[in-house]
Amino acid sequence: MNGQRPDTFRRDLVALVPKLRRFALSLTGNMPDADDLVQAACEKALRNVAQFVPGTRMDSWMYRIVQTLWLDDRRKLTRRGASVDPDDVHLSDEGKAASLPEDRMMLAQTRAAMLDLPRGQREVLALVAIEGLSYREAAETLDVPVGTVMSRLSRAREALLPKLVLSQGRRQ
Amino acid sequence: MMRETTLDKARLAAFADGELSPEEAAAVVMHLADHPEDQAFVDDLMAANAALIRAFDAPMTAPVPPAILAVIDGQQARAKVVSFPGRRAFALAGVALAASVALAVVLVPGPRPSGLTVGPVAQGQVLHDLLQSLPSGQTVPLTAAQDLTILATLPTTAGHCREVEVIDRAAGRLDMALACTADAGWRVDVVLSEPLPDTPPDQAYVPAGGIETEALTLWLDRLGAGMALDAATEAGMIARGWVR
Repeated sequence: MNGQRPDTFRRDLVALVPKLRRFALSLTGNMPDADDLVQAACEKALRNVAQFVPGTRMDSWMYRIVQTLWLDDRRKLTRRGASVDPDDVHLSDEGKAASLPEDRMMLAQTRAAMLDLPRGQREVLALVAIEGLSYREAAETLDVPVGTVMSRLSRAREALLPKLVLSQGRRQ
Repeated sequence: MMRETTLDKARLAAFADGELSPEEAAAVVMHLADHPEDQAFVDDLMAANAALIRAFDAPMTAPVPPAILAVIDGQQARAKVVSFPGRRAFALAGVALAASVALAVVLVPGPRPSGLTVGPVAQGQVLHDLLQSLPSGQTVPLTAAQDLTILATLPTTAGHCREVEVIDRAAGRLDMALACTADAGWRVDVVLSEPLPDTPPDQAYVPAGGIETEALTLWLDRLGAGMALDAATEAGMIARGWVR
């Protein structure tokens, strides 16, 4: 446990779950799969807790586990010939985000636009725009150079912005 | 004139993402004051960030699921392997879910004059015909005092659900129901009711209360509902008799 008490680690992990679920939701697009992903990530974290260095950012460590498991799962599906069709991905906001039909529509379009992005761009956008990580933190979490984070972010936004502007009708 | 027409988009993105030092950010702010195109781009970035946060924010206010807590507490052996596309796991069936919804709103127990009654919608009923053919957003009178509007059509894991609203001015009540495709027909899954707010008699539209809308949203989420169909897609479903 590297000097960290198990109950402290578990307590910190529980506190992180909402953010992990949000991150997983932004990757998978639906809550049941996000919860399965977070559950598997928590198991993996507890099995490998000795690798966690106390004093370092636990959220980044957990984001990486979630992202790795998600990637592994997608690879398995790729080998089996399955694919993720955004039209088949069911979206949910658990009723928290919007109650008006047009607001629900806008948020659903935002989720759909996110799910249309390639995997790498979606990961970076989720970590930076939603989870609030710095470019460097996102790069360390994903084990890629900062330049890669910036270029993926740029491409993600090029694809995303027109859809969001259209849905919001904000710009004149 | 190439001088300082626009800033590099990466730099504007770094500004929007809070990556710049206070001095660098201040310089960008000064630049934006004189460059509306760049200001618009930054506005878009910030709006997109805000939309993304809202779109995926539901878990931040939800309790930690018991299954995840059990794993962290060491009470459960293994999580299930994640699979895609989304598998649904709706443990909450009608009665249990109804009980939870009833905490927030009145769950209508028996038949309603509007025809909004939980259960299958028989062919030949007016409601059946309207669910089959009425586009969302159109209001039709059921009686002199009752108007029915289908608010939206949403795809679910099992088919489609339509949000139905009936305003009964005589009874001073607003019913809202969720009717979903089932067994080549329709089934009303839930009916919620609340008193109609004081409304001028000539007002055509009475918005549903927030509580009702939220309660229906819970149902829709349990059903895996996606975004509302646009008019053309919905028209296509109506033309095909709701066969996917």
